[in-house]
Amino acid sequence: MAGIESRVPSIWTTGWTDILNTGTWRNAIAVHQKRPAPCHGGCPVDGEIPVWVQQVRNEDFKAAWETLVENNPLPAVIGRTCHRPCEGVCNRAEYDGAVSINALEQYVGDLAIRKGWVFPVPPIELDQHVAVIGGGPAGLSCAYQLRRKGFRVTLFDANPELGGVLRYGVPEYRLPKKTVAAETRRIVDLGVNVISGQKLTGKDLGKIEQEYSAIFIAFGAHRPKSLPQFPDDADRVLDGIAFLRSVRLGSPAELGQKVVVIGGGSVAMDVAGSALRLGRQAEIIALEGREVMPAPEDEIEDVVAEGVRLIDGAMVKTVEAISKSLRLHCIKVKLDPDTPIGVIRPLEVSGTEFTLEADTVILAVGQDPELADWEDQVRVAKGMVEIDADYRTSRQGIFAAGDVASAERFVSTAVGEGRKAANSIAQYLGQPPALRDVTAIGAAQEPDVAFADINTFYFPPRDRSERDKVAAEVRKASFAEIRLGLTDEQALVQATRCFSCGACLECDNCVYFCPDMAIVKDSTSPLYYKVLEQYCKGCGCCLEECPRGAMGVREETK
Amino acid sequence: MSTEHTRLLLSGNHAVSYAVKLARPNVMPVYPITPQTPILEKITEFHAGGEMTGEIMTMESEHSVMAAAITASLTGVRVFTATASQGLLLMHEMLHYAAGARAPIVMANVNRTLGSPWGFWPDQTDSLAQRDVGWIQYYCENGQESHDTTLQAFRVAEQVLLPVMVVHEAFYVSHAMEAVDIVSQQQVDAYLPPFNPPHRLDPQIGESWGNTVSQTMFQNHRRDMGEAMERVLEVGKQADRELQELVGRGYGILEQYRCEGAEFIIATMGSMTGTVRDVVDELRAAGVSIGLLKIRLFRPFPVADLREALVGVPKVMVLDRNFAPGTGGVLFQELKAALYGLAGAPEIHGYLAGVGGTNISPSAIKEMVQCAMGENPSVNSVWKG
Amino acid sequence: MSYQIDEQKIFNSGHAACPGCSEALAIRFIINTLGSDAIAVVPPSCIAIISGPQPLSSMRIPVYQTTLEASAASAAGIKRALLSKGNDHTNVVAIAGDGGTYDIGFQALSAAAERNEDIIYICLDNEGYMNTGSQKSSATPSRAYTTSTPAGKLTPKKNMAAIMAAHNIPYMATATTGYPDDLARKVARAMKIKGGLRFIVVLTPCLTGWGIPDNAGPKVSRLAVESGVFPLYEVENGQSYTLNYGPKGLPVADYVTRQKRYRHLSAEDIEFIQKEVDQNWERLQVKF
Repeated sequence: MAGIESRVPSIWTTGWTDILNTGTWRNAIAVHQKRPAPCHGGCPVDGEIPVWVQQVRNEDFKAAWETLVENNPLPAVIGRTCHRPCEGVCNRAEYDGAVSINALEQYVGDLAIRKGWVFPVPPIELDQHVAVIGGGPAGLSCAYQLRRKGFRVTLFDANPELGGVLRYGVPEYRLPKKTVAAETRRIVDLGVNVISGQKLTGKDLGKIEQEYSAIFIAFGAHRPKSLPQFPDDADRVLDGIAFLRSVRLGSPAELGQKVVVIGGGSVAMDVAGSALRLGRQAEIIALEGREVMPAPEDEIEDVVAEGVRLIDGAMVKTVEAISKSLRLHCIKVKLDPDTPIGVIRPLEVSGTEFTLEADTVILAVGQDPELADWEDQVRVAKGMVEIDADYRTSRQGIFAAGDVASAERFVSTAVGEGRKAANSIAQYLGQPPALRDVTAIGAAQEPDVAFADINTFYFPPRDRSERDKVAAEVRKASFAEIRLGLTDEQALVQATRCFSCGACLECDNCVYFCPDMAIVKDSTSPLYYKVLEQYCKGCGCCLEECPRGAMGVREETK
Repeated sequence: MSTEHTRLLLSGNHAVSYAVKLARPNVMPVYPITPQTPILEKITEFHAGGEMTGEIMTMESEHSVMAAAITASLTGVRVFTATASQGLLLMHEMLHYAAGARAPIVMANVNRTLGSPWGFWPDQTDSLAQRDVGWIQYYCENGQESHDTTLQAFRVAEQVLLPVMVVHEAFYVSHAMEAVDIVSQQQVDAYLPPFNPPHRLDPQIGESWGNTVSQTMFQNHRRDMGEAMERVLEVGKQADRELQELVGRGYGILEQYRCEGAEFIIATMGSMTGTVRDVVDELRAAGVSIGLLKIRLFRPFPVADLREALVGVPKVMVLDRNFAPGTGGVLFQELKAALYGLAGAPEIHGYLAGVGGTNISPSAIKEMVQCAMGENPSVNSVWKG
Repeated sequence: MSYQIDEQKIFNSGHAACPGCSEALAIRFIINTLGSDAIAVVPPSCIAIISGPQPLSSMRIPVYQTTLEASAASAAGIKRALLSKGNDHTNVVAIAGDGGTYDIGFQALSAAAERNEDIIYICLDNEGYMNTGSQKSSATPSRAYTTSTPAGKLTPKKNMAAIMAAHNIPYMATATTGYPDDLARKVARAMKIKGGLRFIVVLTPCLTGWGIPDNAGPKVSRLAVESGVFPLYEVENGQSYTLNYGPKGLPVADYVTRQKRYRHLSAEDIEFIQKEVDQNWERLQVKF
């Protein structure tokens, strides 16, 4: 060293420090990585939510729709009906309210319908032919995914029109027929052979098996549950699902003036709302307290605002027939906290007895699949078709999903299951496994981005905006849709609110906040940047200043 | 431009100012202090009158004066400033810095007593206390010499890349009026080529100055400074000769006045040499074998030249108008050290004469000569008043 | 939001700043904004170390290392030399610490401001003599621990921004490393306003001196702004005040509790600091 030093000038510099290797100082290095967002993890259809929301933000709506329909061919429908688990786990919820993901989905879905966007023709056509039984959300989703993979698909549905619960269950004011029609038509236009108005039974299975390479069963759950305290009185005690169907078919069941709805789920809310719109007075008795009722809070809020009286935490003990009406003897209850998960045991609160008068009672306490003639064809357990993790039934080549095979009663869950079942069917038919939904390096092993990983400085507080609703007084007078979609401006604001957890938006913060200039843009990297190992001292500023947790740390041992 | 010499009646300080004007410095950071102030006043007057261009910087302290002088110099331009006494001491840190920076600044220093207590009197301790800072030091006897030396100083500084201090004493030189021959502009322009150093603070070059060094680099740097100082002995003589060729006046780095065969030599610096010169003439006339050795270049200390000048001389008497408590007269110490081990070295008598600006008359010097001739030298400086 | 900062590559990797150093970050945006037609002056400080070990430089412009008290004078000397050579375009910038600005360099700075020297002077204020191991300077805030104020500093921080604004210089600004675009913009603004001394004081957290993690410099600097401890503003010609980022209602407790130099504080101490910050803001905000 002394030899070199004796040759260098003692005061004027001759070179630059970038020949030095300050990377030897570190014991960990920051790495760019795509990390899963909690909304993605929470999404029943495994939607790439941060991706399409950013596409909306960039006003690339077509791309956003294309990303959406990768996993869900019904964004306008799901944008109205999803129970929104994504918003429940949205990191922004801890900050200033979750991003209105569902409303954004509706916005994109509605836009696609307005613009007439269609699905691309499948890249290949295969000879294998799959029968899909049931044209509800699970069946439509499965048929769509199989067609995209090039399979021939025939879709059997018992009703005159496709959509299942979407068409014959959810009321018009929450999900307009035209929306359902537009999105189902698009699937059919992909080349799905539809045989409607034909109800297949277990007895048909053998014949179908011979004609098709695989079968997907998704005909839903239509057998209403009953309550023993109610008399078998077809005039005064109705089934909720049948009632909603009658409304949808345009010939509503006869109702008395005073309607009491029994149940605390979405169906109960829909029944009460529909009765109200038919000019009736409606009350709901729900076993659960309002905060734990199965129906989403906003659906409860809607009907209460419209004038439905909600009596939560109560049950009907006995029913007494009085001339034309029924007298319901009720009592307030508390739910036993010590029951196993999934079991509800009401404990009566003594002294809280009360009575209600009802001209019509509508039971909306759930429904089971109608499996009477299927039980000897496939294995049935707990009142549902038994399936494994890959949606395979006990019989080779036969798959099932949706309400027929699952206790979950969410439209979006059914769509997600339909997609996964399609993947499983494709594999069964010799196709390679579907690519992982998350394609980026290392993403599968990474935990979801947590709120603590978000640098909120980069996200000025901005209110979550709900979709506007028609005023309660106005909306209760008709079956017109009550929720207005987001305006263009609202949609952009919502998209801007998205943290884009774990998904780099090339904001360059990692570049700018490096005191060592050790991060550079790299157009060849799928993660956009390169860390210069010669210089990175491992301080972690890039990681800390990444607004969205799209970086991680790799320990280094020397 | 005329080559005719102009002769003006000037104070020693103004003689310096005229030389500075002729040297065309680009940057002149200044700060007032008695008795230097007339140097800066004349310069600012020239500048205001359009006789000089460049940048005058009216700084808030001598420290900032020198800080600005260094960077201006390193930016590759000619720089001049002037100071005295306390001002020089306030610069002390930057004097080291300037030399280390190899900044060829020329600065006039007017010797004045240092506080405390306050005084305004000629005393060389201020500049001699800076003998180790790495500056070249010239001590001038009168205004003419200060004028000529200032021009030589730019020449020497820019050749060896070390700063130069041109020193003369308060009042005896700074304010004493005498006729001074002013060198012509044409001669000065021929004598002082434009300063254009290869290394400088220049975005086109991109070199930085003064980053932290290793021990070895530091040592190498100091060795380089030492070598540059060594070169001054030759460069200084040449600068003197060349100016002499132009204007007919030369001084040498030492002046040996009537030293031929002298058995007794008086060694001193600055204004006192004038008085001693008269004494030498008087005593020579009286048959005394006596001479004067004037040390004009004090840094670098011209050891070889001094040994050559004094070898075989029986007695030397050093007159120090300065005082370093604990060691005495600075020239006395330095001369003894310079002659150490020389075969045929003289006996050396060190007298503190004129400390604090006290007047040293010819008769006082004669008394001292008589005294030195009659006694063995003391190892320490002796107070003579 | 994302930053759009126009940087020239003047500041090099391979410099010797601590991992995560905010001072290096500040230098980056200052030097890279100034660009290649500039000369920098740096006094002893971490900046001097970051400048590089001889014979290497971390900056692709000439840097001159001066003495601790002389930055403004040294920079002025360069500028005048350039002017004397007919160069009126090269920017001369002094980049000094708070010790070299608020304390020992104050005289030279004030004088350069009075002479209205055509230089940019940037103080990287880390509120103490951090290079020597964290001693108190006149920029150290009330109650802060330093090794020379082990019981906490009893007197408030000198208001350098106000003092410099009172020199009626063409441009005075406060900035901090958590807002790099604002810092870069202010440097660019300073470059544009030629013909006088332009001063920017940059609050620059010192990781070791303040006792914060390696990755927390930018965040803590933003908390200083959002809590009102260090508002970001500009003053032109001593009279035209513009607020860029002011307090956002964050209590100072959110700022001080993240730093070990304040870990000895009692609730009363924090209340004291809060009052001081509130008063300072009251006095300042009337000027906008």
